[in-house]
Amino acid sequence: MNRSIKSILVLVCICAVTSLLMALTNELTAPIIEKNESAAANAALLQVMPEGKGFEAVDISTYTLPSTISEAYKEANGGYVFKMVTSGYSTNFVIMCGVSPDKSVSGALCLSSGETLGYEKTFGENMTGKNIQTVEEIDTVSGATKTTGAYISAVKDALNAAIILDGGSVDIRTEEEILADNLSAALPQADGAFTKLFIVEDIGFVDAVYSADNNTGYVYVVGEEFIAVDATGNILSETETDISEAVSKMLASSVSDIDITAYADMPTAIVSASVSATGNYIFDIKAAGFGISGDAWYNPSGEYIYIKISVTSEGKIIDCFTVSQKETDGIGSACADEEFYTQFNGKDESNFREIDAISGATITTNAYKTAVSRAFEALKILKGVE
Amino acid sequence: MNKNGNLSVLTKGILKENPVFILILGTCPTLATTNNVIGAFGMGIAALAVLVCSNILISLLRKIIPDNVRIPCYIVIIAGFVTIVEMVVKAFFPALYEMLGVYLALITVNCIILGRAEMFASKNNVVRSALDGLGMGIGFTLALCAMATIREVLGAGSFAGIAIPFMTDYKIEFFIKAPGGMLVYGLLIALVYKITSGKGPKKREFSCNGCPSAQYCSNGSCAKEVE
Repeated sequence: MNRSIKSILVLVCICAVTSLLMALTNELTAPIIEKNESAAANAALLQVMPEGKGFEAVDISTYTLPSTISEAYKEANGGYVFKMVTSGYSTNFVIMCGVSPDKSVSGALCLSSGETLGYEKTFGENMTGKNIQTVEEIDTVSGATKTTGAYISAVKDALNAAIILDGGSVDIRTEEEILADNLSAALPQADGAFTKLFIVEDIGFVDAVYSADNNTGYVYVVGEEFIAVDATGNILSETETDISEAVSKMLASSVSDIDITAYADMPTAIVSASVSATGNYIFDIKAAGFGISGDAWYNPSGEYIYIKISVTSEGKIIDCFTVSQKETDGIGSACADEEFYTQFNGKDESNFREIDAISGATITTNAYKTAVSRAFEALKILKGVE
Repeated sequence: MNKNGNLSVLTKGILKENPVFILILGTCPTLATTNNVIGAFGMGIAALAVLVCSNILISLLRKIIPDNVRIPCYIVIIAGFVTIVEMVVKAFFPALYEMLGVYLALITVNCIILGRAEMFASKNNVVRSALDGLGMGIGFTLALCAMATIREVLGAGSFAGIAIPFMTDYKIEFFIKAPGGMLVYGLLIALVYKITSGKGPKKREFSCNGCPSAQYCSNGSCAKEVE
């Protein structure tokens, strides 16, 4: 028994003394280790701002900065270094960017990414010396548009953030936010909830029509102008642009379904068709994109791309819209982007194939074009019978 | 065993009882850290510091530590010193710390240190134990450096990070990889055996005391077999 107690006591004593020695050493070395580690962190900052000194972290929570900014450091001469987390082809694309006191880029570096092509490793070299205007002129790399585009916009965010931290104000709203703000300004009673209408009438120079979700009216977009119209067609905004014809056409618009089974030659891609009182045709079309005809190795979704398209009786496309799609995410899925499908608006059978293809998604683009050509075929069949 | 003078206690670790080549202890860090000279030297010095300190302390406490808890006691002491060395290296030689990585912490379970504690420090006075630790540490460091020199010069065409003009064009990367380490290790063991030509310790001197099961086995029975 005594032997056990002695063993326990000795072991406890040795442990206690050892712990004490370790605690003392830690007391001495911990501040040095901490200093070394912050020097290592500064080394990364120096890579994007070689002349920088005396970096200090900025508490970014007290400012309204672009959402990509995750860390900010102020440098003694008035420059800044920002760490941005953005998403290119993958998420978690981390970029560090230095901004000189004259608000130009002192250096940009990709710290980590899951990008596939490797362009992000050297793309930052193009950024050095650029300011908020000239950064727009950098070309994205063809085939790596998402990666390089995300890189450029992250660097733009850093340049804007530097202005904001210096007390300036910058419009950091995204395009969607700008549109939403403009719509709300034109028609405040809509409470900010709008739906873009699918246009079936030929309304000339009007670019788009948004309907208030609470039925208080419409906003007509003509170029830069946002014109509010109430539910009964009275123009609310003060404007020199005459949209009264467009408004009356829109109000009078009515659509009736066509029984496509009555037409033997109707292309199978046409899902349904309808005609407006003014003689314009509306088609729902399915396109066999990558989801249907893609290489099985890539595990295609098995889903068609569903497209809605309106055409005048003369064969001019009024509006085009991707209703649903399950193309490859990040590649063919761009066919659901407004930027892509609105390219068809105003085109006719002679020139609709001239639209810009989706980068890296030839199968999707070609299927989309084929679907649009089916609309022209269907139009001829319907008119021919009449 | 203790009849030799203090000087021979110091020198025996360098060649005659070299821990790496004769006692074949500490094989893991030997293979892992010898692909460059700086790393090998740093590892050797770190192990030397722990070896000397733990040998001194264990020798001082040899009469106090009860036999049945001696291994936990040694481990606590060794681990304590390793942690201290680790903190010091991290604070003052951050580049070396990065290079050695986990192998620095693994000095705790390095057989050389526990082996010397068990075989020597627990049976000898403080001065002799300190000299033994120093000798073994120097032997370990020299062995690592010799091996690292061969591997780095042939494998990376450089010495301690400095490129050697002719060698950089003809580097044989095999040598800085694990199989190259095994090969160099084997050849050096053979070479050292040839040089010492059997003058190394008799089997009995380290076979039984150094055996992990020595404490449980009826003492002497296997010693007879060994003889």
